[in-house]
Formats: sequence, C-alpha cells, structure tokens
Amino acid sequence: MANSNPLIQVKNLDLHFGAFHALKNVSVDFHAGEMIGLVGDNGAGKTTLIRVLCGIYAPTSGEVFFDGNKVEKFHPKLAIDQGIETIQQSVGLCDNLSIARNFYLGREPVKRVLGIPFLDMGKMREKSTRVIRQFGLRANVSADDEVERLSGGERQSVKIGRAVEFKNRVVIMDEPTNHLSVREREHVNELAVQLKEQGLLVIYITHDIFQVHKLADRIVIMENGEKVADATTDSMTAEELEEVIRQGGRVVEKREAV
Amino acid sequence: MKQIVRSQGFGAIIGVVVMLVVFSLIDFSGWWTAQTITNVTQFTAILSFVAMGQALVIMTKEIDLSVGSVYGLAGVAFITLEPSFGVPGSLVIALVMAAFVGLLQALTVVKGHLPSMIVTLGGLFAVRGIIYVWTGGSVHNFSADARIHPVTRLFGGELFGVEAAIFWLVVVAAVLGIVLRATPFGNRLLATGGNRESAESRGVRTDRVKIWAFVLCSLLAGFAGILTLCNQPQTHVTLGENMELEAISAAVIGGCLLTGGRGSIIGAVLGALIVVSFRYELIALGAPSSWYITFVGVVLIMAVIFNQKLARFLGHSV
Repeated sequence: MANSNPLIQVKNLDLHFGAFHALKNVSVDFHAGEMIGLVGDNGAGKTTLIRVLCGIYAPTSGEVFFDGNKVEKFHPKLAIDQGIETIQQSVGLCDNLSIARNFYLGREPVKRVLGIPFLDMGKMREKSTRVIRQFGLRANVSADDEVERLSGGERQSVKIGRAVEFKNRVVIMDEPTNHLSVREREHVNELAVQLKEQGLLVIYITHDIFQVHKLADRIVIMENGEKVADATTDSMTAEELEEVIRQGGRVVEKREAV
Repeated sequence: MKQIVRSQGFGAIIGVVVMLVVFSLIDFSGWWTAQTITNVTQFTAILSFVAMGQALVIMTKEIDLSVGSVYGLAGVAFITLEPSFGVPGSLVIALVMAAFVGLLQALTVVKGHLPSMIVTLGGLFAVRGIIYVWTGGSVHNFSADARIHPVTRLFGGELFGVEAAIFWLVVVAAVLGIVLRATPFGNRLLATGGNRESAESRGVRTDRVKIWAFVLCSLLAGFAGILTLCNQPQTHVTLGENMELEAISAAVIGGCLLTGGRGSIIGAVLGALIVVSFRYELIALGAPSSWYITFVGVVLIMAVIFNQKLARFLGHSV
C-alpha cells in the first residue's frame, strides 16, 4: 500500500537541549497509508521526535521533508495548516465548551453579517453531530453538551473524529489508549486502523509493543535518542521486537551493595 | 429555558429576584421610588461597565486589579485635558490612555509569564500615584460650556427618556454578549480560560486573546469613568477607589469562576445591580454607610457558595 515517495522524510536529525543530546542522527521515512508503531522506553526520544514533526521543537541539525519539500520553519500552527494532527491524551479539548465548539476551535466556520464574522452554529452542530454518531458516542450525547460530560474514550473519539473531518494527512497518536477501559481501547484502535485505510499516515506512539504489533505495518524502536530498529511487522514478531528493546536498553549502572 | 438555566448568569437572575422581593417586603415605599431607582440604575450602569470588562479578563483565567485606578485616571484625564483639547478630544485621549495602561499590563503578564494579580496590583498603585501627582490633590471641574457640550450630554444626559449611561450599557452589553457567544473570538476567549494548552494545540493564539481581554477591560473601565464625569463633572483623587473590588464582586456574583472559562456578561450586569442595590437599600434603611462593605462581603461569599452549588447541580466540575 505504501507508495514510493515518503510523505515525511527525516534525515540525520540531531537535537540538543543545552548539553543534553535528545535525538542522535535519526533518519526515518514515513509513507502515506501506513501505520507506524513508534515504541521505546520513557525518555527514549519518541515524543521528542514527534514534537519536531508537529512543529514544537526545531532540530539542531538535519533535515525534515514533508511531501518532498524541505521544512524550513517549525511552528505548531504551520504543522496544523499542513494537515499534521497530534492526538494526545490530556490535551486537545476544552472541558468548558460544547462538543461543537471544541470541534471547530481555532478554525470556526463563520457567516458574515455586515462584515462581522458570526459563528455558523448550524454547520458546527450538524457536522459534529454526524461525527459523534459515526464515532460511537452514546445516543444521549448531543453536540451542544459540554466536553466535561464525556468519558475518556469518548474524548478520544471526538479528537480522532476531528482529525478525520479536517482532511488531515498525518495523524500522530501519543499514547492514545492510556487510562481507557478495554472496550474503549479497542474502539480507539479500530479508529486508528480506519484512518490508515483512508490513506492517512498514522504514527502510533506507545510503550506496549504487543498491542501495536497487531495494528501497525511497521515498528520503529527508539532508545536513548537513537533509532535502534525499523522493521515491518510481518518480518519480526512482537517477542523479537521486545527483545530488541531489552538488548538495546540503556546501560543502567547497578549500585554496589554497601 | 434549559439554555437560561444552564447559562452562567442564572444564579444572578435568582439573586436579583430574591433581593427585589426581600427589599419590597421590608421597605416597599423606600425602595420603589423614582429617586432610588434612578440612582440605583445610574450607578449600576457605571459599575456594570467595569464589571463586564473584569468578567472578560476573569474568563481568560486572569484578573485585573487596576480597573479602579484606570477608571479614575480616565476620568481625571477627561476633565483636566478638556480646556486644551475640547470635550471630544479629551474623551478620546482619556480612552487611549486607559487602553494603553491595559496593553502595558497585558504585555507584562503575557510576555513576562507573570501572574496578572501581581502585575495589575502594581498597576493599581502606579496609576493611583499618577492621579495624585497629576491633580496635586485638587478638585477639577468642567466649565459651563463643557457641561452643555453635545458630547457631554450624549454620555451624561438623557437619551430617549432614559439615563444615557443605561442606554450605553444596553448597547455595549448586547455587543459584548454577542461577541462572547457568537463569534470566533468569543469561542477562543472561553477556550483560553478553560484550557489554555488545548486551545494552543488547536492553533489559538492565546497570548493575543489575553491581550485583547485586558485592553477591553481597561477601555470599559475608562469609559465608565467618562460616563460618571459626564453626569457629574467633578474629579477627586479618590475617584474609583475600591472599585476593582466591587467589580470583581459583581463579576463573581454574576457567575464568573476564577478558574476561568465560565462567566457571562448579563451575569456581571446583574451582579453589579445586586452590589449597588445593597448599598442604596442599606443607606435607605438608615444603616451607617460603613456597613455597606460588610454586606457586600457577606453577599459575595453567599453568592460564591450558591453559584458553586448551582454549578455542581448542573453537572459542572468545579
């Protein structure tokens, strides 16, 4: 399914925070229509790499190409405009606003009356209602309900629905199933696969190699700021990949017993 | 109906109804007189302008303690600059000065990542000091010509048979209410206060939203000062002292939560009505005027408890 030209191409990326070397010569290609499992321990550099892709950090050296064009400026707004959407567990929805208002936050549709931009509430309700039905929210939830009434899984569904609706090209999911019930987790994973099948690039970040191995086409393992493995899921089993994480782990100096 | 009950101003609507019933029961003849109603509505209108601006700032999860001083500064500027610039000129300069103070404080808060409570506390003292230095403690008056100037009459006289301040309040409150509920700016303002990080992640420039809220707040406070002086063109150095506390009280009684993201314009107006009504009724009942502050304090605490219970009853997490 993956076509030959990568949608995102990272070349020899280095990132320093002061003396700390967060990313070390990372090169990786991501293709449209692919689901990538990005796996690694805490502090391995997964999230740092993603933050470069969604414009929060600018790399110290190295290049990032998006759809064949070299990325010159890194800013979250630019990444959003390019169609790169990040779904995080705790960020993305404002509890005090209705689903419809959250759905369009930052790019509200307007009707102009005498040149004054008024929110097009009708359109906002209609579209977000369709999405919340499609993404399996409870039947008694309406687009006018505030987000604080939703469960963790429903929140993720709204965010994923929003990512689909805005014709994004890349959806980055950062630990999307943390704190979710088993059923909600399955639902979120199904949605992730749907996104991929619609031709989007999905990057799925997790600790759980076994879970993502079932979903992803390719697994990229990071360790200590470096890419240590990059393999298609049909070429390596989850157990083999787990072994890579163990072997490639940081050297933890054991304290001598006093 | 459901919309009204769920709106943040609902507690204040109940509060106003209860207050009017109680005042009617204990002091019907003293309360429902033309004189009382005129005074109460006039001062409510003026406090409402300050409270509405405060509500906007509180909704972005910040606070502006300098509004009383800004109110005073705009008033003093309006009167003292009138001989050199004329009524319209000094009015514009006074508003620009107010907006400038708001902008300066907003930039300090936003760019310096400082708590607005401290920055605007500094603003409160600094601006009050400027008033003392500028006036030298003396009282300034409008000349007879300036008092009958059409612009003075437009803001201080009567329009269509009602006090000008009431007329302007209805217009400005309607505009602000619509901006807050029905425009992208309002949506982003509420989002900024509700969850700043999430708003940023959607591409909302929360810094700009906050700057606008502070500037609007100072402009409204300045406008309130001008309305006051068009009605009674005489300044004194204490003009607007403690007004920030009344304005915050009014906004909070009107349903603004200091945790941000929740509040209403109509609530701030009704909150101002409650605060001002208590002042007048206590005076009318012959209580020493110093009791007024105590009562505002008690009403404020009762209102916060009531609004919180109401919010929990409606299923909000506060």
